Amino acid sequence: MAGSVASFDEASSSVVVSATDVSKRYTRGTEPGVLGRLLGRQSPPTVRAVDSASLEVRTEEIVGLAGPSGSGKSTLLHLLAGLERPTDGTVTFRGTDLASLSRRERTRHRLEHIGIVFQQFHLLDSLSARANVALPLVETGVGKRERRRRATDLLERVGLGDRLTHRPRELSGGEQQRVAIARALVTDPALVIADEPTGELDTESGRAILQEFERVAENRAVVLASHDRETLDLCDRLLRLRDGAVVDQPSRGGPRE
Amino acid sequence: MSDRYRRSMTRQGTRLRAAGRLTIAQFRDQKVRLSLAVVGVTLAVLAITLLAGAGVGVLETGEQQFQTADRDLWVTSGDTRLTTAGGGGFENTLYDSRNLSAEMESHDGVALAAPLAFETVYVSTDGSDDFRTFVGTGIPGGGSSIQVTDGDALEGDPYYANGTYGGEMTREVLLDAETARSLDVSVGDTVHIGGSLAAARENEFTVVGISPTFERMLGTPTVTMPLSELHQVTGNTRTEPATFLAITVEDDARIETVKRELTEEYPEYEIRSNQEQLEAVLQEQVVLLAAGGTLVAVAIGAGVALTFSLLSLVIYQQRPTFAALTVQGVSPPLLLMTVIGQGLCIGLLGGGLGIVLTPPAVVALNRLATAVVGFDGLIQTAPWIYALALAIAMGIGSVAAVVAGWRVSQTPPLEVLS
Repeated sequence: MAGSVASFDEASSSVVVSATDVSKRYTRGTEPGVLGRLLGRQSPPTVRAVDSASLEVRTEEIVGLAGPSGSGKSTLLHLLAGLERPTDGTVTFRGTDLASLSRRERTRHRLEHIGIVFQQFHLLDSLSARANVALPLVETGVGKRERRRRATDLLERVGLGDRLTHRPRELSGGEQQRVAIARALVTDPALVIADEPTGELDTESGRAILQEFERVAENRAVVLASHDRETLDLCDRLLRLRDGAVVDQPSRGGPRE
Repeated sequence: MSDRYRRSMTRQGTRLRAAGRLTIAQFRDQKVRLSLAVVGVTLAVLAITLLAGAGVGVLETGEQQFQTADRDLWVTSGDTRLTTAGGGGFENTLYDSRNLSAEMESHDGVALAAPLAFETVYVSTDGSDDFRTFVGTGIPGGGSSIQVTDGDALEGDPYYANGTYGGEMTREVLLDAETARSLDVSVGDTVHIGGSLAAARENEFTVVGISPTFERMLGTPTVTMPLSELHQVTGNTRTEPATFLAITVEDDARIETVKRELTEEYPEYEIRSNQEQLEAVLQEQVVLLAAGGTLVAVAIGAGVALTFSLLSLVIYQQRPTFAALTVQGVSPPLLLMTVIGQGLCIGLLGGGLGIVLTPPAVVALNRLATAVVGFDGLIQTAPWIYALALAIAMGIGSVAAVVAGWRVSQTPPLEVLS
């Protein structure tokens, strides 16, 4: 079954990631064994978190995922990031089917191509802001001096040049989210995924973060999931989800234009 | 060396350094958690060293007692059993000990053969009905190998004179410090001693000295007196029972040769060296040994379990951190290196602290044991105990960290973060 398609139809933009008829089902509990079946135990119920959704995201595009809680926004983000495999359909990143990659390859894929920003930041309290940002570069084999330079540059870009050595707990929520954005960008990913990036922030901090995302999208694709109207206004187009399915056509063009 | 290999090695080195820095950073950030984990491992190490030390102490003390007794061979009749009757000591299964020792002393190469007896006796300070039981030890002669810490040694055993009990009783007795304290007597005081209450009321002895020798050997309070006087007050002059005949061989004689000849001449008796005698005594105490062995095994098992669960807990509590890193694309090897680093550090710190604290703990516990039960040198450590404890702390710490880290790395990160 073909699902709703939301595409940004601009020939000059290259598709970074696309989802085609992707579905994700979760099983609540475990399948009964032989004894369980003999005793009449039923198969556990399944929940369809994403239902035949399709979309394409191109470079320099910000796509918003909107919908009530439980509508499948986060799950769709995880599928696009390669954090989960779809039950049906395919997720393709620049022509590569993510389901064909092993777990290790998908981890490497995220490191090199995808930046992720969480609602709750998930920074390491034990490391300074700069060390948090630089940490993913350890895996890419970048030398210590270069790691520090790149992390410093990015933190300066997000306005935290005077907070390099501060620990996360010494920073405000908005500052922590900017550190998280810098961390997401440090490997220069082609796609940035953000799940409720302003959900933990006050209005003023949230606006500052949204400005960062506008800058982030200058040479890469961004997919945001949010309930927040102001955050969604930033997006070039929106996908509205309900019960895992895309229920609304994309709005072409947004406030950025 | 290929470029690919070189790049791989460089990357591993970078990972290793990063893991080291991450480990240190995590520790610096979680001082309380680290301290508690280190304290836990320290306690596990102390449990291992002290309980294993108690096991070693029993064996070492026993061996030392046989060595310091300044005897070369021990003659017994049958098994050497600890008696369950009265205050403790050994069963006296070797009869006519005076004649037997005289016979053996006449054998070539034997310098001295002396019977040693242990009997349960009643002791009172004033001959009233307030009697208590102790182990009475009978020794022939003054007992030059008997250590006296206060007062004088026994004069000798003049009561037994040329095969008769016609000499004069010295009525001298040595007490160990704990017995003297419990009876509230000191050198110069008198006590009543006998194998029955009636005999005890009639026989008064003077405390001439304080000696820890037999209390250490038996691990129980003792009164030490001339053998013939012990036989007299316990009514055993007719059978003259003894637990051992202790033989000293002449300086120019070979112990093994004398032992072989005596064994051939007296096949009805067991003749053993110091080490063999200790082993024989211990072999009779299967239940005791099994209990001791179980205690040591439980100590090691508890130490292993405690270390394992502590390390698992420390790693488990960092799941959100590791999950966030995994989502960012940080690989399992870097996380595992960090986890192993934490296990090694906690194991090393806890193990090291446990080993440093073991000697003062041994001193304190030995003092306590001496004060409470009068047994000196209860806990004795050995290098292998320290090595075992440290190996368990570090080895199990690392293994626990690896297992916990592997399990954490297998948990889908979104399960932890969502």
